[in-house]
Amino acid sequence: MRVVIAEDDALLREGLSLLLKTAGIEVAAAVDNAEDFLAFIEGERPDAVVMDVRMPPTHRDEGLRAAVRAREIHPALPVLVLSAHVETSYAVELLADGVGGVGYLLKERVGKVERFLDALRRVAGGGTAMDPEVIGRLMARRRAADPLEALTAREREVLGLMAEGYNNSTIAELLVVSDGAVLKHIRNIFAKLGLPSDEGGGHRRVLAVLAYLGRDAG
Amino acid sequence: MEGWIGGSASTTRVVGWDTAGVTTRLRECWSAVRFLVAGAGTSLLSLFALAGLFAVLLLCPFGVGIPSLAPAIRLARWPVGVDRGRAARKLGEPIPEPYRDGSPLKDPATRRDLAWLAIHAATGMIVGVLAFGLPLGALQQVITAFVWPLVPGGIEGSLGIVVDSWPHAALDLLVAAAMAAASLQLPRVARWQARTAQRLLRPPPGVVRADRVAELTATRAAALEAHGAELRRIERDLHDGAQARIAAVVLQLGIAGQLYDRDPATARDLLVKAQDTATDALAELRTVVRSIYPPLLSERGLAGAVRALAERSPVPATVSVEYETGRPAAVEAAAYFVVAEVLANVTKHADASQVDIVLGGTASVLCLDIRDDGRGGADESRGSGLAGIRRRAEAFDGTLTLTSPPGGPTVLRVELPCGS
Repeated sequence: MRVVIAEDDALLREGLSLLLKTAGIEVAAAVDNAEDFLAFIEGERPDAVVMDVRMPPTHRDEGLRAAVRAREIHPALPVLVLSAHVETSYAVELLADGVGGVGYLLKERVGKVERFLDALRRVAGGGTAMDPEVIGRLMARRRAADPLEALTAREREVLGLMAEGYNNSTIAELLVVSDGAVLKHIRNIFAKLGLPSDEGGGHRRVLAVLAYLGRDAG
Repeated sequence: MEGWIGGSASTTRVVGWDTAGVTTRLRECWSAVRFLVAGAGTSLLSLFALAGLFAVLLLCPFGVGIPSLAPAIRLARWPVGVDRGRAARKLGEPIPEPYRDGSPLKDPATRRDLAWLAIHAATGMIVGVLAFGLPLGALQQVITAFVWPLVPGGIEGSLGIVVDSWPHAALDLLVAAAMAAASLQLPRVARWQARTAQRLLRPPPGVVRADRVAELTATRAAALEAHGAELRRIERDLHDGAQARIAAVVLQLGIAGQLYDRDPATARDLLVKAQDTATDALAELRTVVRSIYPPLLSERGLAGAVRALAERSPVPATVSVEYETGRPAAVEAAAYFVVAEVLANVTKHADASQVDIVLGGTASVLCLDIRDDGRGGADESRGSGLAGIRRRAEAFDGTLTLTSPPGGPTVLRVELPCGS
């Protein structure tokens, strides 16, 4: 797997490069600003991009805009966005094209190396990886006549993990239950929220869940 | 030859009056007549007010008058207010009330009110009657000058002239011309009356400045107080939160280092714990940062940040942006927190189904208009967060205007000067 890193903080950039190389992932380029990143992207398509939101010269949201631009140049280019803080509106924007291959995590999640690499591989494979904080906030949004209130505590947990982008077997593993139990929960959740059931799973299911959670949010 | 042409040109100028100019002039005169005739009415009111005040003053030695003096002065502010309104409309600029809180006896505006009442009682009636009489008189003289042959014995015109021959009629026309010329001066008289009212009935410049200084001193003190409280809160949050946790991380790492050779399993556990503690510290830092200056503001600007707030709002909210350029960061942060607080209020109290937020203003002032279709009846004194919003606005020398009749809608407007 060939990955491009765009991150202006030198320590984090070097750390990420080292971490990826140790895991046997090739770092095609590590740049510290959005222009250099876009210049590189024009020339070739990597397997995934790891991207900071705030970068020079203006230190605003250029990373996010560069990510959206990169996906226009290379449709469905897997992008994992890292940030010191997460905003639900950014998550909604990243997911807006509905093709998947999107990740949005807090920077410190890199510290849980296995989980981070798993998220990166999931994104590179066209899946999603959403930070639990984003999902937590999306689920905490109060709606008029909120259907989420019909869910049991366990079902909410499963919905949260599903929205983060995990597949059924990982969810079963994380909750220490059987695959069959997870499947049953998911069927209940889909019925209660009125979503079309998708037994096959995969990123389309995740996108449907995220779209549901982010509804009216963009 | 040249002289003759010049003469002809000047004649043309007189005969070929520019008609637009004439209509404007006539319209000015008509407006002056209406203004001055209304002034005759208020002049009569002024006279009554003065007479009333004089009567109260006469009663003072008998004891009844003294307690009535202040209410009587307040009552006399009513006719004065009518004239203030007339003058403001005439001049096309608002005239603010100069009155201060407290006893009207000590208010310097009272002396100026009395001066106006005296001037207007003395002149307003005369001027009003002239404004009515001069144009009508001129018209009457002109008619008389032509219809006298039809009336046996002639007609008695003004100034005792009996018009019974053409020379007398010519004299009568001269009088008419004089009256018409005087009528043309009425706009000037009207302007004089309005200006006099303005000069006496607005707050004197020194008073305006003194009031402004007092107001700024008060809001500055409140702003300093609020700023101090904010600094103490941030210090406490950092001290009890992130700072304490990072100290724990250092401790955990230190112990892990000591145990590294002797007990690698425990050392490893401690490393994981240290990582979790550091992660918690980051989460707390994020909360503190959000409360100081939301990162969305620096990344997306005020409009983007407010849109994100609206998206997150449980009550559906729209955002329209009429004017947005970079305002001072402190003003934008204040505006952001105002919107956040208002949306929280609406969610909690208003029972609304829709909120509309408008970001507007100019380069020098940021205006926020927030309207909801809820049940209204929002009351600042009942501690619904509105007082906090007002304090936030006043710290920036801004204002909060709230209309919230029972049954709604509630409309809130916050204006924040941008210091330019």
